[in-house]
Amino acid sequence: MGGFISRGFRGRRRAGAEQAARLPPGQYAESGFPVLTAGPTPRVDLADWRLKVEGLVRNPQEWTWEEAHALPGSSFEGDIHCVTRWSKLGTSFAGVSVDTLLDAAEPLPEASHMVAFCYGGYTTNLPLEDVRGGKAWVVWEHEGKPLPAEHGGPARLLVPHLYFWKSAKWVAGLRLLDHDAPGFWESLGYHNRGDPWREERYWGD
Amino acid sequence: MGRLSWRLSEVTDVRHENARVVTLALQVPDWDGHLPGQHVDVRLTAEDGYQAERAYSIASAPDGSRVELAVERLDDGEVSPYLAGELRRGDQLELRGPVGGYFVWEPDRGGPLLLVGGGSGVAPLMAMVRHRAATGSQVPTRLLYSSRSLEDVIFREELERLDAAGDGLTVTHTLTRAQPPGWTGYARRIDAVMLEEVGWRPGERPLVYVCGPTRLVEAVAGQLVALGHDPARVRTERFGPTGVP
Amino acid sequence: MDETDLRLDGNALAGMLADVFGFDMTVERGGCAGCGATNQLGALLVYAHGMGAVATCPSCGQHMLRISRGPGRWWLDMRGLAWLQLDEQARLPG
Repeated sequence: MGGFISRGFRGRRRAGAEQAARLPPGQYAESGFPVLTAGPTPRVDLADWRLKVEGLVRNPQEWTWEEAHALPGSSFEGDIHCVTRWSKLGTSFAGVSVDTLLDAAEPLPEASHMVAFCYGGYTTNLPLEDVRGGKAWVVWEHEGKPLPAEHGGPARLLVPHLYFWKSAKWVAGLRLLDHDAPGFWESLGYHNRGDPWREERYWGD
Repeated sequence: MGRLSWRLSEVTDVRHENARVVTLALQVPDWDGHLPGQHVDVRLTAEDGYQAERAYSIASAPDGSRVELAVERLDDGEVSPYLAGELRRGDQLELRGPVGGYFVWEPDRGGPLLLVGGGSGVAPLMAMVRHRAATGSQVPTRLLYSSRSLEDVIFREELERLDAAGDGLTVTHTLTRAQPPGWTGYARRIDAVMLEEVGWRPGERPLVYVCGPTRLVEAVAGQLVALGHDPARVRTERFGPTGVP
Repeated sequence: MDETDLRLDGNALAGMLADVFGFDMTVERGGCAGCGATNQLGALLVYAHGMGAVATCPSCGQHMLRISRGPGRWWLDMRGLAWLQLDEQARLPG
């Protein structure tokens, strides 16, 4: 069906010139916050919620909700990019920096990668250098309000410089490894790293 | 792959069923026909190549190369406002199908037949009811149709006619949010009591088809099984989060 | 709205699976690798994420089929399908 255009169809997208400059290749600006779900929303009681850092670390960590909130807070303001082509420009999240979590756990020298594992079973993998140096957070607030369950609440990982599937919803912990271990989407055709500025969407990109 | 490739249909008519629902009448070249209950995938392409796809049930009975879709315009939809607002006679619409042999009823499958639809979920059930009428089938059939109000009921006059035809089809409405003055029918969401009053007894082993918003479909399917109906004879088609009647 | 509203079923995968397999897969039967339940694929619960879809066993929730689509190819993970029965009658004409 090469070349057929649906007369008058534009889809939902709108982007002013100023926005267009902030968009990675192939993305459009979305003012909403689409919910993408690959399974039932986990319901986690805050009393039972734990955040772990384990694997190749000197001091495995486990924080309760209160303990996690007692850590030095950190927030992010900026843009997020979903591989399904929507980008949300100028949004904000708050929680704790992954640097804070890793500093407490003390990664071993051979730790090169991590897997974020989540309530409900979702996983995603990341090179350690992509979550170090102020690039990643565990967040529990979005735009000043508690993160809703359908967007990953109580808490999700946030790694905004990569496609948003890396910002794992319902995060339960980070496991440090000396090798890369493809997660849920990475083992189903999606790129291992997912840099939106290089359009790393799929295997082989 | 022959009949499953994307192909262009022509819009021959756009009929407003009510304020939000439109019937699109399409002419599809080389259409091999379809089975009542099947759907098509529709694809829209913007000038810059952006594409959006959605599935729509075929509401018409098999009829040569004619296919009708019932589209409800969702306020925050991306595809439905185009189909139910912009598309006009003479336009072309890309589609693929028919697909979905699971949610199909044909007269030779017998009955008795219970059809339960919520909102636009009545579309595939209309294909079944229309095909039943067109073939002169006498399979005892009960349609329970949930809508928010009388204005939201689509195909109302046609269903009245089919109900009055006396060939074994009964149509029962429930209006869940607003009822006209003098309304003596059901005025609440479908529940087990209603299903028991309207539907067949489990001992009669009906074939059941439930279609509409996911919440309604799952509630009704659960109620039917709890009433003793054989789950293997209950088929469901979830439409996702459309407005819950 | 929560994921209950967004949940679909195997009917939602009919077009894509017909593309991939050349069969109307919604009528075909599969066995769950988790609990052994047999279902027509049309009866599976489906979460159709924009990145792909997951079809789960209606009895135990096991992921039976995971599918995603990239330019010019599909990816399928069918570890949750212990077996699949394909009926020649259901093959699409091609």
